[in-house]
Amino acid sequence: MYKVLIIGNPNVGKSTLFNSLTKSNEHTGNFHGVTVEEKRKTITVENKKVEFIDTPGIYSMNTFSFEEEVSKNMILSTADLRIFLADANCLRRNLYLAVQMQELGLNFKLLINNYDYFLKQGNSIEIDKINKYFDAEIINAKNIKLKEKNKNLKKIGKKQQKNCEISLNFENFNKNLTNFSKAPDYLNKFINLVKTKYNLPSEKIIKAFNGIFNDLNIEQIEFIKSLNPQIVSARYSYIDEILFTAVHTKKDYVYGASRVDKFLLKPYILFPAFLLFFFLSIYIIFFAVGPLISDFLILVLNKIIITPILNFLYSTTSNIWLIEFFKNGVFSSINTVLSFLPQVCLLFVFLTLLEDSGLIARLSFIMDDFLSLFGLNGKSIYIILMGLGCNTMSTVASRNADNQNLKIKTALINPYISCMARLPVYVITASAFFGAKAYFVVVGLYLLGLATALTMALILNKTILKNKTSNLMLEFPALRGIDVKHICTVSKINAKDFVSRVFGVVLSVGIIVWILTHTTFSLSYTEIVTDSILYFFAEKLAFLFAPIGLNSAGIVTALIVGIMAKELIVSTLSISNNVASNTALIASLTVATSVVHFNTASAVSFLVFTLLYCPCVSNLAVLKREVGTFYMWFAIISQLTTAYLISFIFYQGITNGIIYPIITIVVATIILLAVIYIIKKVKHPKCLTCNKCRK
Amino acid sequence: MSLLDVKLNTECVVKDIISDDEKTSLRLMELGVLVGSKIIVKNKSSFKKTLLVFFNSTCFTIKDEIAKSIMVNYV
Repeated sequence: MYKVLIIGNPNVGKSTLFNSLTKSNEHTGNFHGVTVEEKRKTITVENKKVEFIDTPGIYSMNTFSFEEEVSKNMILSTADLRIFLADANCLRRNLYLAVQMQELGLNFKLLINNYDYFLKQGNSIEIDKINKYFDAEIINAKNIKLKEKNKNLKKIGKKQQKNCEISLNFENFNKNLTNFSKAPDYLNKFINLVKTKYNLPSEKIIKAFNGIFNDLNIEQIEFIKSLNPQIVSARYSYIDEILFTAVHTKKDYVYGASRVDKFLLKPYILFPAFLLFFFLSIYIIFFAVGPLISDFLILVLNKIIITPILNFLYSTTSNIWLIEFFKNGVFSSINTVLSFLPQVCLLFVFLTLLEDSGLIARLSFIMDDFLSLFGLNGKSIYIILMGLGCNTMSTVASRNADNQNLKIKTALINPYISCMARLPVYVITASAFFGAKAYFVVVGLYLLGLATALTMALILNKTILKNKTSNLMLEFPALRGIDVKHICTVSKINAKDFVSRVFGVVLSVGIIVWILTHTTFSLSYTEIVTDSILYFFAEKLAFLFAPIGLNSAGIVTALIVGIMAKELIVSTLSISNNVASNTALIASLTVATSVVHFNTASAVSFLVFTLLYCPCVSNLAVLKREVGTFYMWFAIISQLTTAYLISFIFYQGITNGIIYPIITIVVATIILLAVIYIIKKVKHPKCLTCNKCRK
Repeated sequence: MSLLDVKLNTECVVKDIISDDEKTSLRLMELGVLVGSKIIVKNKSSFKKTLLVFFNSTCFTIKDEIAKSIMVNYV
């Protein structure tokens, strides 16, 4: 099998190229650090098995973060072909890593992406001149495909063609890390300088120049490191020599920040605009467009699949167990969760809009000061926004943190951000008890999740995870227009993922829950859920939840099952209440004779507990992998405690009629602290350069 | 003067990098903040703790901690 690596700086389009070549649907975005671990896919090209590997972005062989370390190891591994992807708009900086790879004797094919944007701004590249130094071509990562016949890449000259092709030429490619004969001339004087002091082979010295210090002592490492400023300058002089006549750039060309940014980057413009966008999105997704599509979907599902199957069962069997099993066990689980598919798709449309446009990087910039108060940094906004989709995905994304403490902190606070799996619980419970005000309850829950996450970050920052300086150095991507095709692709991927989870976890666990809630200890079928095995055990645990108003076996069962996947909570409620649709579930939750029912206080407590309690199993597995067993248990215990405590405050506050004074005191304290902070800043406007204030 | 003290959108030339943090200094240089290279502060965050800086044909956000270690002169 052949191995092809895709390497390059962050945000140059590596994942887009990977998707185009392998016809995959990996997550891409207009933001630094979207890919944090390598992604692999094997395809067959001309009867050969070829494995493509998409690596995280890396600026230099002298690594700075975890994902760069992953990439460095991949670059140094044996490969049949290395594709080095560069952005035409910042070719000088991109070529720095290419030059380092050249020093190490690592062969690669240089592909230059984003040329159309570069060209539109009045700039150009003469690729033939770059070809004297590298095996280079201009491509369009979005529309590239593999050439079936083994020919060279199509020449595309000054204009980037819509569809270009790439051939995989493995035969002429040097696989090993041994070809040091091509070390550029500029490096020789530094090699000789080291050799005059230490008797080291050239290969070892070149590796050390690139951050690989195998078998060197501290003195040798320190000496080599002291040469770094001169080596970096020499590398850039070499790059300038390559680009001098090849790249023609307008004198005042600035990539990244545009004129719009002058207006957009004011905190009182972008942040309120973002909040407005966020609240409007929630309204459209959950209360305006989303439910309309959901109703239509359920109608179609019932008409085409569920009703015909049930009619068939009614006509062919009189076995109540079988009919009930399909009606309330299988279809109820699918129906209640699948009806939220349109909302999930819409949520990802809004998130992709933010990510693709380049607005997340701008939000990171304006939010950095605020988030640093909690020991986080601007990059955390990306993880928070990703968490709105799926906490497991955003826990993996915490890898792009600058240091270990920040990584653990972001991974631990991330499950407090309300993910899409919890939204069916919010919408159904809030609709049952708050009617027209349900929208405000859902918004309130999202804000409560965010506030709890920030408070937890602050506590961790002051206690076990004190922050080392977080050096936010974030590349600023250019603002981009809406790519409808990409938005549709992302929505399709997430819809597929959601549906597969519904048919995988939700359906299988739903069936088990239904059997356990309809089987007695004598293993006979019962319609009365309170006589079932599961109810018996859940009832034993229910007393623990009495102080937060959730001392019902049905609710306890739903919460325990929800640890497997939060989507299961609603389906378990449906099974317990023997209902097959969302409307019936909403109605049943307010009826005192239902197995699971609430009053206003316990409904709020249930919503808050669902928002904050233990992460789901897949998130726990990722937490264990990313931050270790200790912090996984820390997450479980701290979240259960927080959820219990806040639910207790809400339940007791509402029951005893003191919730409004409590909320008033909390809000007033937050405002007071904010005012004190701002006054302190105004009093000491030069805080940044004043050592006294800094301390 | 350090990068923190320069006016917005005014071209400067890097004079020196005086950071104690060897890793950060090297990363800055590798990204293109070299002695003699041009650098422009395009924007500052609300409490001026983060700067949006243009150098080496790209914009980067840089924390004040790093910015104060980049010594510059106006062109």
